[in-house]
Order: sequence, then structure tokens, then C-alpha cells
Amino acid sequence: MTAPVTAPILRLLGAEQVYTSRNANGPGWTTVRAVDSVDLDVNEGETLAIVGESGSGKSTLAKLMLMLNKPTAGKVQFRGTELGSLGRDRRQQFRREIQAVFQDPASSLNPRMTIERILGYIVRRHALCPAGETRAFLAAQLASVGLAPPEQYLERYPHQLSGGQQQRVAIARAMMLRPKIIIADEPLSSLDVSVQAQVLELMKTLHEATNVGFVVISHDLGAMQAIADRTAVMYRGRVVEIGPSIYTEPFHPYTKLLLDARLSLDPRRSRIRRLDTTLPRATPPEALKGGCRFRHRCADSVDICATREPTLRPVGPRGAQAACHRAEEVNAKASHAAGANAAGRAAI
Amino acid sequence: MSGVQRDRSEAGTTDAPEAPDAAAPVLLDVGCLKVHLRLGHAVIRAVDGVDFQVRQGECVGIVGESGSGKSTLARGITRLMPNVKIAELSGNLRFEGRDILNMGDRELRTLRRGRGFSMIFQDPLGYLNPTQRVGRQIGEALSQDATTGSYESRVWALLDEVGLPDPKNIARRYPHELSGGMRQRVMIAIALASDPKLLFADEPTTALDATVQLQVLQTLHRLHRERNMAMAIITHDLGVVAELCDRVYVMHTGKVVESATTVELFENPQHPYSARLIDLSTRRISQEHRS
Repeated sequence: MTAPVTAPILRLLGAEQVYTSRNANGPGWTTVRAVDSVDLDVNEGETLAIVGESGSGKSTLAKLMLMLNKPTAGKVQFRGTELGSLGRDRRQQFRREIQAVFQDPASSLNPRMTIERILGYIVRRHALCPAGETRAFLAAQLASVGLAPPEQYLERYPHQLSGGQQQRVAIARAMMLRPKIIIADEPLSSLDVSVQAQVLELMKTLHEATNVGFVVISHDLGAMQAIADRTAVMYRGRVVEIGPSIYTEPFHPYTKLLLDARLSLDPRRSRIRRLDTTLPRATPPEALKGGCRFRHRCADSVDICATREPTLRPVGPRGAQAACHRAEEVNAKASHAAGANAAGRAAI
Repeated sequence: MSGVQRDRSEAGTTDAPEAPDAAAPVLLDVGCLKVHLRLGHAVIRAVDGVDFQVRQGECVGIVGESGSGKSTLARGITRLMPNVKIAELSGNLRFEGRDILNMGDRELRTLRRGRGFSMIFQDPLGYLNPTQRVGRQIGEALSQDATTGSYESRVWALLDEVGLPDPKNIARRYPHELSGGMRQRVMIAIALASDPKLLFADEPTTALDATVQLQVLQTLHRLHRERNMAMAIITHDLGVVAELCDRVYVMHTGKVVESATTVELFENPQHPYSARLIDLSTRRISQEHRS
């Protein structure tokens, strides 16, 4: 999808979030730079995936985009205005246009309310339909996320629904306001694989029907490859690579590491049983003073990596960006390996 | 068990995946096992007539979605079922020929502590004592009869064997000071302390990052090979099965719907439910380049 050239609906400019906590034993404070000067644009109608390991700052980034956290430095803009300085009307517009879906649907739905009450509150708050027609409106909303017959679901409590049904209700709640972007933090990881496929399908359908965009945070590269227009890879608070085809053309060695860590679904090609994969170990964060933050886990690091921290720069012909001094070499090696592999398979 | 200085590299012999040894003696024999749980007035047939075998030194997978009964099966077999009301527990359950279904608690404990079976779980933090140093928790599980080496050196050797750097330091840490992957390795060390012949692993890597998952799976596989220890891996992730297991059982609503060698299952699934699981898992990564 190519969005028309308009200002991005959400824009992060050098956004930074530092968490400070008192040390548990002993004096002093510990600070964690969860998000470290991130520049990122989210355009209307696009699906942007954010991937990375736990602790890389993905969820903090989502909180910044949802105005649940105030950045400690930098800016988060909604249609050109900084979030903190939105007036009352504009803030309401922000809340309507940017909606959220969370990882665990059971804990994001009030267990003591029926689905009708949970959703009805939002209908009244935002005056989405005339007062007498709430029930019919809600039924239509549930039907649009594939819950049929909807009247039956309206009377239930969250615990009477399965995980997939709960997630559909959460998506319906977000969709009611006709948002431009839904920010979904790990929407799939608490669901079974067959239900994941259904939810992915639903997201695609909703996108086609209403052009709603998604910012999906996930550690599941396979699922993201299926739906993302662009994917941002985060590592220790920074976006280290962003582009439309990171799954097939990785430019950053960390992206490559993540891709290599996926399990094979072909028992004949199992790498673990052949014992032919060795991965560099994770290093403690104190080893990361200066230079590239990935270099201690990187097989391709050279002298410059220890002295100069790379920033995002355009790489390749498809508008990708990577923060690596040796992005082109990494990419060439990756595609060479993939090519050799394909040739090898053809020979067999 | 070798010393602390042992080479810890994950890469060992480079043998290709081999067919499970059909001649190896059966270690665990489960016949028509039923575990029915009581929930209020309802009875849940969590495991409903399952036949299941593990031979010596093989790695068996149990796959299924949530609610299929795979965890209850493992808990039924290992007889680790606190806080549940059992409506029915019946069938044939033998470990090395001994009936463990009707075994008393004392005898069971002996079996768990010495050359029997161990179990590891998805969430190590929930099973480690937050107020004790991990070294002590591993030491607690050491089998009593073995006489080789001091208590401490055996703890260090175990920590080293599961791939943790600087065992002497790690042994003095508390669980909250370790990362998720390190905690899971500590759990594995505790499980190995009794030198089991069979290790049950219930979703051992589900809570871990992909890169850490691969490392922990490699470690499990290395231990499986080096100790000739049989493994039963319970997972919802067919990738784990494809990477690790010789044979696999597919569970659905409390029953085994298919049992096959891993290669057979992936190449020619017989049951529509297995076929659907494989299809869903592979479709998502169909266009990728694997390295």
C-alpha cells in the first residue's frame, strides 16, 4: 500500500524514555534508558510491525505513542502537534483516532461487567450512536469482528469467552471509534496458533474494509511477515533497522540473528539435532560503553564499531534504513547464504 | 559428571537426525491413562484414554493447543498434581516396569530423587524459591547416595553442565538476579541433580526470547545426547518438535489423535487436526529464506 504523501499521523522525534528506580539493596538510583532517541513515522493506513527481544523497548515505545507515558526527552507528535500540548478537542480526536489492543485480553476487560456494559460505556462516553440504539450498534460491532450471533455475546462476562473471543471483543472495542491507527502490544502471544491465524485474518479484513492502520508489537517474526508493510527492529532502546523487507533482505546483523533464531519446521533440516549452530552469548549491559550497542554479539564487528555508534542510514534499493557500519556487507553475506542454500536444496 | 573446566561448547558430534532406536527398552509405558478432574460439579476429562511410550534415550514430543490435556498428561504421569480434585485416575502407568500409578508417596519420592524422572516447567520463576540462593536449591535436589565430590563441587558441575558461565558466582545468586534464560538453566540443573533417566519438559522455552530459546534447546539436546537421557517435551510449538524430537504425539481434547515419527508427521500427517496445525505453522513462514 502506498499512502498518499501527507504528514504522518504519529511522529516520534528523538523520543527518549528513562526509567529511574531506587536500588533495592544499598543507596543510589538505577536508570534504564528503555527508549533511546527514536525517530519514527507512522502513516495512516499502514501496518507497522515492531519486533525485538524482551527488554528492547518495544512496549515502552507503544506507551509513548498512546500518551500513556510522557517522554523524558524528545517529542511525540500527533498530526504535527506535540502530545502534551494538545487542547481538549484535539486530545479527544487523538483518543478516537489512536486506539489500543493489549496482550492479555482477559486482564484488559473488566471481569465484573458484561460485554454489553464494557462496550456500552464507550458508546455513551463518545456518543457514538443515539441513546436508544446502543444495543443494535454494539451487535453490529461484534458481528464485524466475527462474533456471531452477537446478541449472545453481549450478555456474557469476559471469563465466559475463550481467549480468541476475548481478543475479538478487545479489537471491537478499539474499532468502535473508527480509529485511524490501532496500537497492538503483543496481540497474538497469548493465543493458540489456530486462533492467531484467525486474529491476523481479522486484522487484514478490517484493514481492507476501513483502511485502519496497525502498529503491531511482537516477537513473532513469522506472524509479522504475514501482515507488515514496514517492520522496525529494536535493540536495547534503539531502532536498528526499519524497512519493508527485513525478513528476506536483512541489513543489520541483529535482524539476521533474529531471523536465524527461528525454529525450522522441517525435521530433516533441523539445525539443533545436527548441532551446527552456535550463537554468540548475550553480554551484560555494562559492557556497552560507547560504540555500537550490538557489537559484543556481532560476528561482523570491526574496529570502528567500538568507537562510533552507527545511526540509521538508507541502505539498499527499497527504502530500508539500518544502523550498522557494515550493513551492505551483512546484507551481501545474508543473501549469498540464502542463495547458496536455495542452490543446495535444488541440487538435492 | 565432568569437572568445572569441561569444554562447554554446544557443538559436539555432527550426526544427522537419526531414526529412533526401536530396539531400545521401553522406559515409560502408559496405557489408556485417564485423568479426570473435578471442577465444581463438572468433571473435566482432561486426559481421556491416552497410550504413550518413551524408550530409553529417545526424545518424544507431545504437541497440542491449550486445553488439549498435554500438561495434565505430564502431571498425571509424574504424579505432580497438587491443588486439583481428581475424579478419576486410572489406566496403566509403568516406569521401568514398576507401577507408578498406585505407588505410595514415599516410594515416588525415592524414584524422583534417584535415577527416575524429573520435570521442568514453563515459568522458572514460579518454581524457584525467591528467598534461597540457587546453589542451595540445586543442592537440595542432589541424590543422596552418590558419593563423588563435595556438595559444592557437584552443584558447580551441574551449573556448568547446563551452560551457565562462572558457576561459583551463579550459585550464590538469588533467582531474581538472573535472566529468564539463566533461570530456566537453573531449573534444568535442579532437574538433572537426581541424574534422571527421563526428563519431562513442559513448554521449556515458551517464555524465552527466540535467541535464548535456541540456546536452551541446544543445551537440552546436548544433555539428552551426553547423558543418554530420554526426554518428553510438551509444547504447542511445532518448531520445537521439528528441531528436537524423534517421535511425536499430537493431542486434541484429551486424546492422542496421531502418533508418528517426526519426519512422518511433518511430511504425511494422517489426522486432519495434525495437518491443520502443521499447515497453520508453516504457512506463516512459507516465503522465507532459511539459512
